[in-house]
Order: sequence, then C-alpha cells, then structure tokens
Amino acid sequence: MSSNGGMMLTGNAAAAWGARVSDVDYIAAYPITPQTEIVELLSKWVSSGELKARFVEYESEHSMLAGAGGAALAGARAFTATSSQGLAFAFENLYAVSGWRAPMVMVNVSRGLGMPMTLQVDNTDVLSVKDTGWLQLHAETCQEILDFIILAYRLGEDRRVLLPVIVNMDGFFLSFTREPVYVPSVEEVREFLPPYEPPHGIAFSERELAYAPTIILGHSYTYFRYQMHLAALKAKEVFYEISRDFEKIFGRSYSPVEKFMLDDAEYAIVSMNSFTSIIKGAVKRLREEGLSVGVLKINMFRPFPVEEIAEALRGKKGVAVFELNLSTGGGGIIYPELLKALYHLDERPKVVLDFVGGLGGKELTYGEIRYMVRRVIDAYRGGEVSPHATLLFTEEDTRRMIADMELAGKSWGGF
Amino acid sequence: MSRYRGVKDIPEEEYVAPGSALCAGCGAEIIARHMLKVLGRDTIMVNVPGCYAISTLFPYTAVKVPYVFAVFGSGAAVAQGIRDGLDILREKRGVNNDRVNYKVVVYVGDGAAYDIGFQSTSAAIHRNLDFYFVCYDNEAYGNTGFQLSGATPYASMTSTSPPLGDSVGNEYGKKDIFEIWRAHRAPYVATISVSHVTDMLNKFEKAKEFRGPKLFVALSICPTGWGASQEDTVRIARLAVETGMWPLKEAVYGEVKHTFIPRRLKPVEEYLKTQRRFRHLFKPVRRDEEISRIQREVEEYWRRVWEKELNR
Amino acid sequence: MYRFRFHGRGGQGIKTASRIFSTAAFLEGFYAQDFPMYGPERRGAPVAAYVRVSHEPIVIRGYINKPDVVVVGDETLLYDPVADPLRGFGGGVLFVNTPLNPNLSVDGEVVTLDLTGLALEHIGRSGAISAGVGAVACKIAGFSESSMVDAVVRELEEIGLPDELIEKNVVVAKESYRGVPSFDLDSLPSLSESDFLETDIVHVRLDEGEVGIATIANLGNSAVRKTGNWRILKPIVDYSKCTGCKICFAYCPDVSIHMGEDGKAHIDYDHCKGCLICSSVCPFKAITMVREVKVM
Ligand code: SF4
Ligand code: SF4
Ligand code: SF4
Repeated sequence: MSSNGGMMLTGNAAAAWGARVSDVDYIAAYPITPQTEIVELLSKWVSSGELKARFVEYESEHSMLAGAGGAALAGARAFTATSSQGLAFAFENLYAVSGWRAPMVMVNVSRGLGMPMTLQVDNTDVLSVKDTGWLQLHAETCQEILDFIILAYRLGEDRRVLLPVIVNMDGFFLSFTREPVYVPSVEEVREFLPPYEPPHGIAFSERELAYAPTIILGHSYTYFRYQMHLAALKAKEVFYEISRDFEKIFGRSYSPVEKFMLDDAEYAIVSMNSFTSIIKGAVKRLREEGLSVGVLKINMFRPFPVEEIAEALRGKKGVAVFELNLSTGGGGIIYPELLKALYHLDERPKVVLDFVGGLGGKELTYGEIRYMVRRVIDAYRGGEVSPHATLLFTEEDTRRMIADMELAGKSWGGF
Repeated sequence: MSRYRGVKDIPEEEYVAPGSALCAGCGAEIIARHMLKVLGRDTIMVNVPGCYAISTLFPYTAVKVPYVFAVFGSGAAVAQGIRDGLDILREKRGVNNDRVNYKVVVYVGDGAAYDIGFQSTSAAIHRNLDFYFVCYDNEAYGNTGFQLSGATPYASMTSTSPPLGDSVGNEYGKKDIFEIWRAHRAPYVATISVSHVTDMLNKFEKAKEFRGPKLFVALSICPTGWGASQEDTVRIARLAVETGMWPLKEAVYGEVKHTFIPRRLKPVEEYLKTQRRFRHLFKPVRRDEEISRIQREVEEYWRRVWEKELNR
Repeated sequence: MYRFRFHGRGGQGIKTASRIFSTAAFLEGFYAQDFPMYGPERRGAPVAAYVRVSHEPIVIRGYINKPDVVVVGDETLLYDPVADPLRGFGGGVLFVNTPLNPNLSVDGEVVTLDLTGLALEHIGRSGAISAGVGAVACKIAGFSESSMVDAVVRELEEIGLPDELIEKNVVVAKESYRGVPSFDLDSLPSLSESDFLETDIVHVRLDEGEVGIATIANLGNSAVRKTGNWRILKPIVDYSKCTGCKICFAYCPDVSIHMGEDGKAHIDYDHCKGCLICSSVCPFKAITMVREVKVM
C-alpha cells in the first residue's frame, strides 16, 4: 500500500475514522474494553468540531442501543460500538432496532463473555447475535474495518434492505494493532454514500406512522418477520452492486467471501476475522512443505453467503473449519452453516472437519494450523472423521495449565 | 393564572380514538386523552409493554399521533435517541419541517417507571433530556395479570403477594417516585389523578414552559386489577386524593407545592374498602393494625405539609 | 373424538368454562385436552377455547377448525367477524347464551338458555357465567351431573373463588345443566369430518421500502372496531335533566361522549364499552342504565 493518504491506525482508530468519514450524525456511547478507544476518539472530534455530530454517553449498552436506534429511526445516521458483555446486555434492543428496520452501524470488538470474565477475543459474542436481524461483516485488517463501515451504511440504508449492520473486529488482535490504513476524505465518501433519508423515518416518512405495533396474529407476525429475512437475503445482491461503486471510487473491492491461494488447492481452511492473517501466513509455508491448501475467508456472516461458499469449495477434497468460538454443547458455530452451503453440491468436499482454537486470545500456532490440514488429508484418505469439533490445545498449553492449577491450589495432572 | 378553570375549558380536539382494546373504565385511557389534548398534534408517543400497549395492536391503533414501541426498560432511552436525532437533523442537516419539533412523550406504566425502566429514566433525567415522561401508575403489573411492582402500596393483594396465612399481601411500601425524581432536580415533576382533570390539564400546560425533563406520575385506577367496579374509577381516584393517600403536588426545580390541600382527611378505609385488593384487611377479620398503619403514615405526611404550606 | 369450541368475551370466564368441561370429561374417563386462545386484549374482547375429548389418546393440538359443538357465551359474538364462532361449523350442536329465542339458520341443532339471567339471579353478577357455560357443555356431551359438579368445584377453587361463591355457582351450574338437552354425539354428521385444513402455499416476495415494515399509517383507525358490543349495561342520557355540564365528557375513557350542537351529551353506542363512569359522575343524575339487549 502506498503511504499516500495512509496513516498508521489501530483497529479502533480505523473504526472511529470509518464513522467520521461516513459523516455520522449521532454517536451513542458506553465504555467497555477493548472498544472504548473508538468512542473516545469520536468524542474528541465532536468536541473539537472536526466531526459535526451529537455524541451522547448513555448509562448502559441497553439504553445506548435503544437510543442509537431511536435516532436512526428519526432519520439520523447513527453509530455505536460495543463488545461482549455490552452486546449481551443490549441483546433485546438488537431485535428492537432491526424490527424498526432502522439502519445503523455498530462496531463489535469481539471479546469472550463471562463468567469467567476475560478481556480477550472469542467470537461467540458476535456469533450469538446472528439471529437478531442485524447484518454482519467481519474484518481481518484495519483497512477492512474502515471500508466495511462505509459499505455497511450504504448497504443497510438501501431501501431494499433497511437493516442495521454489525462490523466485527477481534479484540486486541485488531483493536489494538496498528497498520497502515488509507482514509478517504469525507467528500470522496459522500460520492459513494448519499445522505440518509429512510422512507419510513420519523422526519421523512410520507405519512406519520405508528412504529412497531404489537402483533397478535400469526399471519401478520410471519409476514413482517419474513420480510426482514428477505431484505437480509437481498443484502447480498446489493453488496455486489455497491462494492462495484466502491471499487470505482476507492480502488479496493470486496466480496462476501475472499479466496486466498484457494483455486488450485486440494484442501481448504475456512476462517473469519483477524486470525485469518495467521492462517494465510501459515498456508504459504504449508504450500512450501508441499501441502496443497488454500484459505476461504468469510467476510459476510449475515446474510450467509451460501452460494459463494459452495462455489469456492466445490471439488475440494477436504475442508478444515477454524472456529474462534464455541457453542457449548454444540461445537463451532460456523460449521453447521457451512455444511448447509455444501450439502446440495454434487462435487462437495468428502470431508469437512471442525476445529476450535484461539479462544481467549490463545495463540494460534503454526503447529495447530498444520495439524488441521494433516487431519483433513488423513480423513480424506480414510482416517478418522467426526462431526464434533476438535479442540486445538497444545502440550505447551497443558504445561502452563499445570503450573496455574498448582498456584490456584488445585491438584491436576494434565492430560 | 391557570389556563383551565373547569371542565368547560377542556380542549375539544381528541388525539385518542375510540375502539381500543383496554378494559372498560380504565384510568390509563382518561390520562392519555387529556395529556394529548394539552400536548397537541405535534407530539410523538414512545410506549413500552404495559396495558397501554394494547392501544396499538396491528392493524389498529387508538393513538392519533405518531407512536414508537420500545422494549420494556428502554422508553426514556428511545425518547433520547428520537429527540437527539430530530435535533441533529434540524441543526446539522437543515431539515426544517414540523416533525423535527415534535414533543416527545414517554407514556408507560409503573413497571417501566419504578422498576425495569428506572435506570434509563434516571439517566435521561440526569442528561436533562427535553421530554415528557408520564407514568400511568396502576400500582402493579396489570398487563400480565396484576403482579407486585415497586409501585404496589403496602398491604395490597397482587397475584404474587397473596394475603394467605399471616401475610398482609404486599409487605413492602410503595417507592416514592416523586421524591426520587425530584432529587434529580428536574425542572418539573408532578403528581396527577384521573379524578382531578382540571389540575391535570393545568399541570401539562405548565410543563410546556420548561426545557428538560417533565415528569408525571398519575394515579391510574385499574378496575380489573384492583377488583373495583368500572363505574367507580373516578370516585376511587377522588377518594385517594381526599383521604390523603394520593397527594396532588408539583415540584419546580425541586420546590414542592401541593395543588390540592385537604383541610381534613377522610379515613383511608373509605378508599381501601372500594377495592378487592384490600379486602383481606376487612374480611374475614378486620386487621386494625394494618389499617391504622396506613392511616398513620398518611397523617404524618399531611402534618408536615400542613405545617409547611399552611403554617398550621 | 369430539371437538368443542367455546367463544366468549374476555372477563366472562370462557377459559374456566372450557376447563370445567374438560375436567368433567377427564372425570368421566375420557382423554381430554383444553387450550385457550386470547390476545393481550382486556375484558370484552373475543376469546376462544378449544377442548378435545376422546376415547383414544389425542394426537393433535391447537386450533379447532371444524367443531362438533360450538358454545357461544355471548350472543353478540355470533356475527362478530373477529370471533366468527360459526366458522367451520356444520351438522353439530350450537349453544348460544341468550334470553331471546333466535331463529338461526344454521346447519345443526341449536340450543339456547339465558345463562346471564341465571347468573344475575343467583350470583348477582351478569359476567359470572363460566359455571353455567361449562355445565351446558357437559350436558350436551352427556356427562353425568356429578362429574359436572365435581369439575365446577375443582376449577373454581383453582381460580381462588371463596366457598360461598362456589356454592352459588354450583346452583347456577345445576340449573343450566337441567335447562338443556343431551345429545348422542356419536350420531352427529360432523364427527366424521377431519379437522385438517387443506391449504395452498404462496411465495412471499420482498416488499421494498416502507411497505414491508411493521407500521400503521391509519392513525386512530381503532374507531372501526365496534367496542359497543362489549356492553352489558347501557347508559342512557335523560335530556330533560342534562345541563350540558361536560363532566361525563371529561371522564369517558373511550372518547364515546361528545357534546352536541344542542349543548348536551351524546353517547356513541358503537364504541361505548358500558363502564358507566358517565352515569356515576353526572352531578344531575341524568344518565341512567338499562340491561343491554342485543339483536341477533
Ligand atoms: S388491567 Fe387495569 S390498567 Fe390494564 S387495561 Fe385493564 S383496567 Fe386498564
Ligand atoms: S354529566 Fe350529566 S348533565 Fe353533565 S353533560 Fe353529562 S349527562 Fe349532561
Ligand atoms: S359508559 Fe359512559 S363513560 Fe363508559 S364508555 Fe360508555 S359513554 Fe363512556
């Protein structure tokens, strides 16, 4: 990347810049690690007048999201950011905002949900809100965070969609990592992102409305719920349209999935978010070791890009799914979605195995990545297959655990 | 000088339509009617789960002003977003229509005011949000079948405080939401009662003068939950005022003034006896201790008021 | 299997009536299943309850589309489009609570009784008809009187009625039971029909913009709902006494009084729910009340 227009930004700063160049009108805030830096920066810009917007710090994420949604319903372009516990606390309001069909953008800085409490990454927070009516874009790099925020506004505000969007980044691994980010000017972004005037907004609707009346009967409830589903599905088509415009103006292009060294590979690793960079790096080296493997990164989790995944994995011998999440009693959360995409394929991969790793920011090692690939190759050749997720837990992890358990006063002999 | 001197002055315009699904004789409808008569056409109502939610059941609504339904605890937070959103549209984006100047009124029951929405309301007051917050207080969770809330008075029967065995029904007292709000130093806080319509109209009118939070708690007679006769809604509300159990007052920037001061109090049992929720205080045996506890508390309250406001 | 569908208005105890009936069936040795369906509406809005009774275990649940017996607790519901009590009815037994002798052209047996009158006479409350409705259903099904009484007592205890009220309800129940005939349900032509609905599937498309969003644009359209048929008692203005003081207008919760050009109070009977607040607040005693008579 050229340094022209580029800045060294953390993921959090990139998110704040994304909101700033999108010329947001309203920022609803509440502090939570590792997200706080985003709203601190925005508050600074609003105070200094560099960003003309209203900044309100609420008393909880529950209210923060209600307020942001209320402003979006009024007709203001609204932004907010949160993480883990905050996302969970706001949970019922996720449904309220999407049900109002109030487009807005929320950045989630992914972090595990207590108890036990952690500050570190675990995508279970954002994946557990996959059914709330919010579209989801997941970023691997700081540039993607900024770009996805701009795209998310255009996507959600499209009158065929009218849904809110979550842009996810991993806590620490992206939120606190600096790398060069190209920041477009407000004018450039304005060319891509027209002013927000929702057809049903309080200030703009043709007629005055009663929003979200209670619904008693199943047929009307079904109709409106299903309209949200159809709008979410439509969002994928709209995404292609707007990313063409995006490329024309900014020279970067995005699609719901990204392929890395995948087309000529026999095996694939499926991944999302920042750890994909680690996997990409490892895959380059695995290629040198003679393993024919590539990467499929999922950028868009809602709507789930079923067709793109099927196309990308068609004809592969085997697939390893790397999951930085864990649905207790279920396993990885991406795995069943992925199988849905593959099931009706004639040339579907013979084996698809699920792996859980990186939880709580645990390092994802080269050895773990090679292990996933070896397991898939072995399974393809007749070795062990299982629908259950395999945990990536290393000997080194065990040694450290033994030491910790001893300090905690619990006798434990390891595995 | 009061703008409304009697029922003759009640504005003709109605912003509530007939045909709602609320119970016959419901106090919350009387309050909504008069509230909107004064606030007028350019008002947007934020409502949350509670009895008044059934004013608006798809595809029907009895509310003639725009209406937004929010989750139970979020009435004040959504009001904040709407107010801020409309303001920023005007100030930043130059939108200049009637809509951006809507008055925002949050109309909720006591569950949302005293309990689940308490935090968000307190925070909105603290942020000096320019809005009206009106609680139709029927002293329990009426919408789910009358369970105990923070607004339920001492000794009331509810479906989760049944007066069985030695129990008096609700063993806790009612939260003093007026004082809690007043402690926030809101510009205007008032109590109202469905029986005193002129007082109610004048208070809504007066509230319009202030920028910032304007907070109302209305005694909202609930014939269904209270086990009272529907036709007695107004009579019971009047008894609540005349026995001193429901003082009518207002506080401007924290300064309290009573808008109706009874010179002598009717005995509380005249009020209690009108409702099945207090029946166990009289039947099968009269529970003098509880009745006099309620009487004593009311008298203590008024003794202080009489001293302060009548120098008596 | 016998399919009983109960219709009433919120507050009339239709759910309790259906439970009395299904408990009695259970006591008679049947398999039974009861299921009430009501929205968040209050007193007065249409309510339905479904009871299935069978010699075999019951492997279906939910709505009853083709009832063998329809029990209508409130005659005003007969032509109410929301309640639609005659939907799917044919060849069975229809019971209507009414003091009138209606000439109903329906395919099936029609039975009537004035349960409201009985409730007023013995209990003193017109709304207290659950025991009567339950008892009538028991009789139609041919259950024994003792099972019926047992069920009435159990269900009324369950909802916490005091003993003296339960006794009065038993009196009403027995009179109701004796006031209607019993039927050989196995001979009903409706019995042979399946309750399953044949339906066609359509493909739902995306409706863009405001259309597909849950909103209402007709603000104040609740006026199309005629809540006037909730009334049991009807307020009537005596124009020789009305001074036009507006007090009733001030207190009507349901915007059903307007001041006419003659300066007097006029009641909108399409919407007046019959709370009688107007009557109680009128300083001139100008509003009286009469029992509502509903034309079928
Ligand atoms: S339950 Fe009470 S508050 Fe609720 S609608 Fe009925 S009367 Fe009104
Ligand atoms: S309260 Fe009585 S006198 Fe006054 S307008 Fe109504 S009916 Fe007439
Ligand atoms: S009875 Fe009187 S107060 Fe009640 S709804 Fe009817 S007109 Fe209004």
